[in-house]
Amino acid sequence: MKKVTRVTSLLLSAALVAGSMAGCGSSSSGAKTADGKANLNILVYMQDHEKKVYTKLINEFKKTHASEVGNINFQVTTQDEYNTKMTAAMTSKKLPDIFYVGPDSVRSYVDNGYVMPLDDLIAKNKDVKIDDLWPTIIKSYRYDGSKTGQGKLYALPKDLSTFAYAYNKDMFDKAGIAYPDPNKPYTYQEFLKVCQKLTKDTNGDGKTDQWGASFADSFMLNPFIYGNGAHYLTDDYSKVDIVGQKAFKDALQFYCDLTTKYKVTPTVQEDSAVGPYQRWLAGQVGFYGCGTWDVGAFMDKKTLPFNWNLCAWPVGDSGKTTTWLGTVGYAISSKCQSPDIALQLISYLSTNLNGQKEVSGATGEESIQLPNIMSYAKGDFKNAVKAGKVKYPSNVDVMFNYIGSENNYKGIFTETTYTYNSDWFNTFTDGLTDVKSGKKTVDQYITEIQPKMQKDLDKAIALQNKNKKSSSK
Amino acid sequence: MTTAARAAEKQPKAPKKKLGKVALKEERTAYLFILLPCVGFLLFTIYPLLFSVAASATDWTGMNDMVFNGFQNYTQLFQDEKFWKSLANTLIYLIGIPIGMILGLLLAMGMNRKIVGVRVLRTMYYIPVISSLVAVSILWAWVYNYDYGLLNNILRMFFHVQGPAWLSSESWVKVAMIIFMVWGGLGNSIVLYLAGLQNIPRVYYEAAEIDGANAWQKFRHITLALISPVTFYILITSLIGGMQVFVQVQVMVSDGGTNYSAATVVFYEYQQAFESGAMGYSCAIAWILALIILVLTLVNFKLQKHWVNTMDE
Repeated sequence: MKKVTRVTSLLLSAALVAGSMAGCGSSSSGAKTADGKANLNILVYMQDHEKKVYTKLINEFKKTHASEVGNINFQVTTQDEYNTKMTAAMTSKKLPDIFYVGPDSVRSYVDNGYVMPLDDLIAKNKDVKIDDLWPTIIKSYRYDGSKTGQGKLYALPKDLSTFAYAYNKDMFDKAGIAYPDPNKPYTYQEFLKVCQKLTKDTNGDGKTDQWGASFADSFMLNPFIYGNGAHYLTDDYSKVDIVGQKAFKDALQFYCDLTTKYKVTPTVQEDSAVGPYQRWLAGQVGFYGCGTWDVGAFMDKKTLPFNWNLCAWPVGDSGKTTTWLGTVGYAISSKCQSPDIALQLISYLSTNLNGQKEVSGATGEESIQLPNIMSYAKGDFKNAVKAGKVKYPSNVDVMFNYIGSENNYKGIFTETTYTYNSDWFNTFTDGLTDVKSGKKTVDQYITEIQPKMQKDLDKAIALQNKNKKSSSK
Repeated sequence: MTTAARAAEKQPKAPKKKLGKVALKEERTAYLFILLPCVGFLLFTIYPLLFSVAASATDWTGMNDMVFNGFQNYTQLFQDEKFWKSLANTLIYLIGIPIGMILGLLLAMGMNRKIVGVRVLRTMYYIPVISSLVAVSILWAWVYNYDYGLLNNILRMFFHVQGPAWLSSESWVKVAMIIFMVWGGLGNSIVLYLAGLQNIPRVYYEAAEIDGANAWQKFRHITLALISPVTFYILITSLIGGMQVFVQVQVMVSDGGTNYSAATVVFYEYQQAFESGAMGYSCAIAWILALIILVLTLVNFKLQKHWVNTMDE
């Protein structure tokens, strides 16, 4: 009897210890099943409604490739947690086979040897067609060892996005103003005039209740800066270059004047009480930035109870209305044991027509993203929007113009894409409220902030160089 | 060492020799059982700890192979404006600790009496302690809202003044955080003080009354003196906790505030590690913080003999 107890307790404690260890490392990546089929691990971040669509696509892929594919472990996390999880995976040297890489991180992932170049794989594989994807987006995943935008291809886009401008049609109707012409962006002065007409005290209590626009600095300032032909950094991204740049100063001055001088936006305090997004949803502002990812929600009458459409950001001296683009792509781990299958899978998620119809809302659901396939986007998809068969604002061309940099539109990746981190930019926006609340002038602010931004940038460059050095060993 | 102590030390050894076979086996099995938490401790506490010491002396970005760079991270730290700013903010938040302790003691004394609904009151004050810090932070972010917040609405209704933009003003954000932290820590100190107060024998007060002591003297020389170990405990634990404030800032002022006015050291550490990709540097910040906490705690332990009364004396 005693022996039994002893053996049991031994087994029990052994099991406990083993159990506690098991948490440390999961299955190695790219393993195969007993009968030689490829197992794949994927780690991405997504929202629930995206996950639903992509889970479906993955299951379809599993069915159509049943002879080659064993198990696909599709792990979805939140955007906040993604970096933490990836750092842990890198530290324990157990990367998933497929994971997200953005244009801003292609460089560091490649420098450290975590991802595989795709060109040769694609050349071998007739089914994978990338010629019809938007060129700007594909280009952003190329890297030649020193510069992003050229060289080998390291990822296929999961999506592409742009940050267009939207306006509240009902508010325009009420004020008797003509809708903005998507082919002819507002100049600064025109924009100001419209905003002034829209800014009102609707209930007569002496306080403004409706504003022309409302801005979240960290992502709505740049269309003004870049749209005026200005920039933050020198061409090689090594020096902060804002003092003494007239275009930059003018753009920032106009942007801040909208709040301090013309009062066509909520004050800093009012902004802190109710954010720009909430004010837009509540119908209190005329204009708001609209990302491709916002469209689905904005088309829902429960979210936006008013009519709205897309327009261009106001344009400064450059003459080209400019906004930023975004994308995230699927990369294959350099340690992946079945790169061919992995490529087929990411190509399926990235370029499969049915999948793209589903995510873009062409099947009747809400639109999560624009189609990656250019000919489809500009052909059948656009026609379906015009015919009212897809839930999308009629000025969908605004989005396409930005993504393709067509007509007098320009879509660019922000400069933070090309620096190791965005500390220098955050430092700039962190203190901007001082200008918008009238505590500092634009001149004072940029003179004072430039050296601080440079410090951050220097640190980022140092980190980037360290990344390179250790990988070249 | 006295002979008594030596004897005491020897004593447990003697019977050990007499351990029978069965007992010996039993002992081994026992070790097997305590092995688990030991392994867990080594693996999940000691190992990461040592790992971060090592990492703090490298240029690790979280992605690259670590390359040793000596004290470079530490020297860089001393010229880092944001680090000093976040450290200063953290220290300013500590003002909440004495305020919280005084309030806690007063409330505990109030609740130590037989008043109606005392149990309900005790529960109410303890709720913040067991609530999720994230949820509570979201709630307070609303309380502090400039336009629609509870606080500014009260100020408007009763005092006819417009309250400040609590979370976006550089100075008010600190006041806001301190108030929030005092509120959040109150339940804990009340419960501890209550326990301390109830341990004071009534006879001391009666004796003092006979000697003609007034209320203040009773409070000063009996209550305050006899709960000093509790005060010491609360002080130490809230100092350690206060130096590590993170969630409140992350939730209520997720960008660190205007000009980084709300950021704490741990907040900065987190940003450096996971947003700026400076993992080695972040480890260095963590160790400097650990060092500061260690020094603070040691100083407190040194000072305690001047004001903390223990049973030994």
